[in-house]
Amino acid sequence: MTLHQFITAPQALHPSLWLASQLAHASTRCVDTGHPTLSSQLPGGGWPTGTLIDLMLQQSGIGELRLLRPALAAAARRRIVLLQPPHPPQALALAALGLAPSQLIWIRTSGTSRSSDALWAAEQVLRSGSCGAVLFWQNHARGLCTATLRRLHLAAHSGETLFFMLRPLAAAQDSSPAPLRLSLRPAPGGLDIEFVKRRGPQRDTPLFLPLPLPPFLLQRHATLDRALFAPVTARSILPELVQ
Amino acid sequence: MPQLPLEVFCPNWFSDGNGNGNGNGNGNGNGNSAGVVLEHERVLALSALAAAAGVQIGMRRGGVLMLHPEARLYERSAEREAEALHAVAMALLQYTPLVAEAEEATLLIDIGASLRLFGGIRALCRGVRANLRALGFTGALSCAPTARGAWLLARHGGGRSATMASLVRRLDRLPAGLLPPARPFAAWFDGIGCFTLGDLRHLPRPGLQRRCGGALLDMLDAAHGMTPELFDWIKAPATFSAKLDLFDRVEHAEALLFGAHRLLLQMTGWLCARQLAVGRIRLQLEHERGRVARAPTVLEIVLAEPTWRDEHLLRLLRERLAKQVLEAPVIGLCLEAAQVQPMAPPSESLFPEPGGSEQDQLRMLELLVARLGPDNVLQAAPLADYRPELANAWVPVHQQIRAAAHAVQMPLDVLSLPRPTWLLAKPIALLMRNDRPFYGSPLKMASTPERIEAGWWSQSQTRDYFIAEGQDHAHYWVYRERLIGVPGVVGVPGVAEDAAPRWFLHGLFG
Repeated sequence: MTLHQFITAPQALHPSLWLASQLAHASTRCVDTGHPTLSSQLPGGGWPTGTLIDLMLQQSGIGELRLLRPALAAAARRRIVLLQPPHPPQALALAALGLAPSQLIWIRTSGTSRSSDALWAAEQVLRSGSCGAVLFWQNHARGLCTATLRRLHLAAHSGETLFFMLRPLAAAQDSSPAPLRLSLRPAPGGLDIEFVKRRGPQRDTPLFLPLPLPPFLLQRHATLDRALFAPVTARSILPELVQ
Repeated sequence: MPQLPLEVFCPNWFSDGNGNGNGNGNGNGNGNSAGVVLEHERVLALSALAAAAGVQIGMRRGGVLMLHPEARLYERSAEREAEALHAVAMALLQYTPLVAEAEEATLLIDIGASLRLFGGIRALCRGVRANLRALGFTGALSCAPTARGAWLLARHGGGRSATMASLVRRLDRLPAGLLPPARPFAAWFDGIGCFTLGDLRHLPRPGLQRRCGGALLDMLDAAHGMTPELFDWIKAPATFSAKLDLFDRVEHAEALLFGAHRLLLQMTGWLCARQLAVGRIRLQLEHERGRVARAPTVLEIVLAEPTWRDEHLLRLLRERLAKQVLEAPVIGLCLEAAQVQPMAPPSESLFPEPGGSEQDQLRMLELLVARLGPDNVLQAAPLADYRPELANAWVPVHQQIRAAAHAVQMPLDVLSLPRPTWLLAKPIALLMRNDRPFYGSPLKMASTPERIEAGWWSQSQTRDYFIAEGQDHAHYWVYRERLIGVPGVVGVPGVAEDAAPRWFLHGLFG
């Protein structure tokens, strides 16, 4: 390679170099998001495995699982851990999303040491590397400190687990070692995804991703087969009868 | 084990606080007071702290108390020593089935067939040494081609010789008094200038036999491999139950871990010797006896996958003990293997599975259960019921559910039922504004209703479920209570329905 090439294309020097105007290469294996418009905006073209992915939600129940559905369904060969979800998960709905009930583990934490218990459980699951995906809800108003997040990020590094951390929108203000941070807001018929942090160019406008509820949920009554009326041709009925 | 008489009273993990401290040095001093063991009113063994105070072997009781008034004096207990030796022998059974007790607090193990499995002599010695340390004893390790040769080396402080020639060289330099039958004649050997075993070997055999008896020559020949040796190999008992008396009253459950580790090591040896794997263990924490007697606290650990290694059991016990709140001080531990089954060797595949095998997953789940409790690690077990709360059942993860049972309880087409991802634990009653249910913003019904009317046999539910959309574009699962069975309007349900439509939020669509 000549000096000229170095200057015109410095990103070819090393895989971890990229221009500020382009998306980085992924350093780990990536799982396709299943939404082409979103995949094209992520470095590596999907959710990176073995990495802390920070999702900040306006509130739970805005379609976050519909967003993750294709990736989770791909990871569902191994168990999926729901750690400290905000409400009891509903197995039938998750089955409709393509996650078999036998593959789901719901970990609750209770008592005084719930925060440390949840963090400990997350670290154990990530270090064992035997689960397909971990979804960790952290709903405390007081966010986690950076050291804790870094610890989880390093634990995620030891395996190929898909690790999502779901936190309130206020956490977007805090710093985080996660290389990918998205904030999600509901929008008519879908989600507005804002890229808080990614290895790539800054994007100011949120990405709208259509994620409607499947139509069978809204219109679940089958249309009845109705016997059609016999076609009426003009002047076939006597005028006396019409009157 | 040169320090055995002392260590049955104060094991080295007990004195240096956290067990994995100072290697196999002789740090047996117990913090602030030294331990001294007496036999026939003479000092037999002493801790480093006592030695520093000037106590010497052979001193009388009065002399010890004068030099070090706080010293703790123990009478030698042959019974405890035999128990301790047996405990170590049990733990060593995990290396080889051939373990024999020999005289003067030594154990002989035949490792000829185990070298390859445990990765060579050095790795095996490291393992034995680590086990001894965990059991709370100091040991001198030696390896030799003959058992008596190894015994002599160990009595002289340890050492390894792999070949016969090097063993003979080493043996020739050892003092003659090491052999027990030679001790009564020590003065006579000194008188003729026979100081080492090498000198002893070069004495004329007929004369030696006439003066000292046949035992001395037999032992010397056995050490040099010229006569075969016979041993009484230890047999593992049919059931396992080991006890350990603590030397103090322990009030923190974490501090029990070292004692529990010792018992687990014994169990590991027993399991290996009997070719068994354990499915359930029971640890009893014994409290004060006598006037304030309490029933022992029982910790029971059930394993999803039977195991015979101690690492996983130790991790489980650590989490359980960390959670355990002791109601009274503990003075003893008792470990039982409650359920055993034949050991099933793991089936190795050529390529390791990514993310570990099924056993790894089960082990991870067990660890979570041990700390968080069985009610907090759940798996889905949906029931075929119309009522959404009852259909969404979750059970502890260690309950076995067959795939067929799963399939029976699931609806034929999961897509046919509109169910939200999150089902609120308790429905929230919604406010009404302008005849519309209100949750943050007025809700707009987005779907056709689903009528659920079931449960007349237990909790009756009569509800019309809708999917509603708020102004923030999030979807909610709401229902309207249908008031059937109100007195006075039986048969005219429409009246009651219109009278007071009550709306509830029951789920969120994630």
